[in-house]
Amino acid sequence: MGVLMVIIGIVFAVTVLPSEEKRVKKRFQLLSEWVSKSPEENPITMLQKMKDIGTLFFEPCELKAPHESLSGSYTRQEISAYAGSARSHFSQLGLKFYDLHIAFPQKEVAKVTLTARLIGKSMTGDQVDEIRELECLLKKIDKKWFFSQIEVIEVLKK
Amino acid sequence: MAVNRRIRQFFFPSLTPTLLIRVFLVSLFAYLFFGYVCTPFTIQGISMEPTYPDGGFNFCWRLRYLFSEPKRHDVVAVRFAGSQVMLLKRVVAREGEHVEFRAGRLYLDGKEVEEPYVRFPCSWNLPSRRVEKDCVYVVGDNRNMPIEDHHFGQTSKVRIMGVPLW
Repeated sequence: MGVLMVIIGIVFAVTVLPSEEKRVKKRFQLLSEWVSKSPEENPITMLQKMKDIGTLFFEPCELKAPHESLSGSYTRQEISAYAGSARSHFSQLGLKFYDLHIAFPQKEVAKVTLTARLIGKSMTGDQVDEIRELECLLKKIDKKWFFSQIEVIEVLKK
Repeated sequence: MAVNRRIRQFFFPSLTPTLLIRVFLVSLFAYLFFGYVCTPFTIQGISMEPTYPDGGFNFCWRLRYLFSEPKRHDVVAVRFAGSQVMLLKRVVAREGEHVEFRAGRLYLDGKEVEEPYVRFPCSWNLPSRRVEKDCVYVVGDNRNMPIEDHHFGQTSKVRIMGVPLW
């Protein structure tokens, strides 16, 4: 009976209780949800999502994307504004993350390597399908994880 | 009656320890084989047309380069962070070679290379560049698009996951 209780306890701890890894994954899920856009999205939802996107980031957040003219340090407001501006060019947008490899190199720091895929339809009707490998650093503050650095890894170098 | 019993036994076998072991072994083999050796994938995009059309299905044979190196004209799957999303491209140059495009034609070390798999017109121009150590230069077969819109370039050999089965 005791052994059974221990097994049930371990299964409960592994599956139900949120681990740090699950908490980090949740931040990516939120980012994906808030960046994504449906054709029927109303202006209130759009404004709310713009505001929400900024809350996922550490201040300042460093972006390293030398080939996409995005490198630099950005505040939450700047990220929200940039995301809003970028989203306004699309009638439909979907951001998905694949192959998340999460490591904790230091206490309160998570390093995540992943593949990001952005699929959408621009306002002019063009299809967009962009894939990038990203290396993200997240910092933990008050039990919440925030994106502090995002680097685009160059897979193909022209 | 015996035939009926056999058919019933085939579709609804008794849950014996032998059957459970067989099911476990078949599942394990399928998981390992299709997860790590011969991975199924669908093609999304037009960069390898007409050789590999958009929407096609294939398997990535991941043991292809276990004991050999990618050769020029091989079609390879290049991974990003993992194997869930990969790029299907053709190797056009190997390490140390100088690759260049002039009016849509491929030049390696200054010599023009025939590419029978390129069927669509192309007008690309790309200055000569040397492929770095432990890298290969990959390009799609469909070059009937502006050079800026096509994902190609040199990539590390460790990113090559395998080749399409057909």
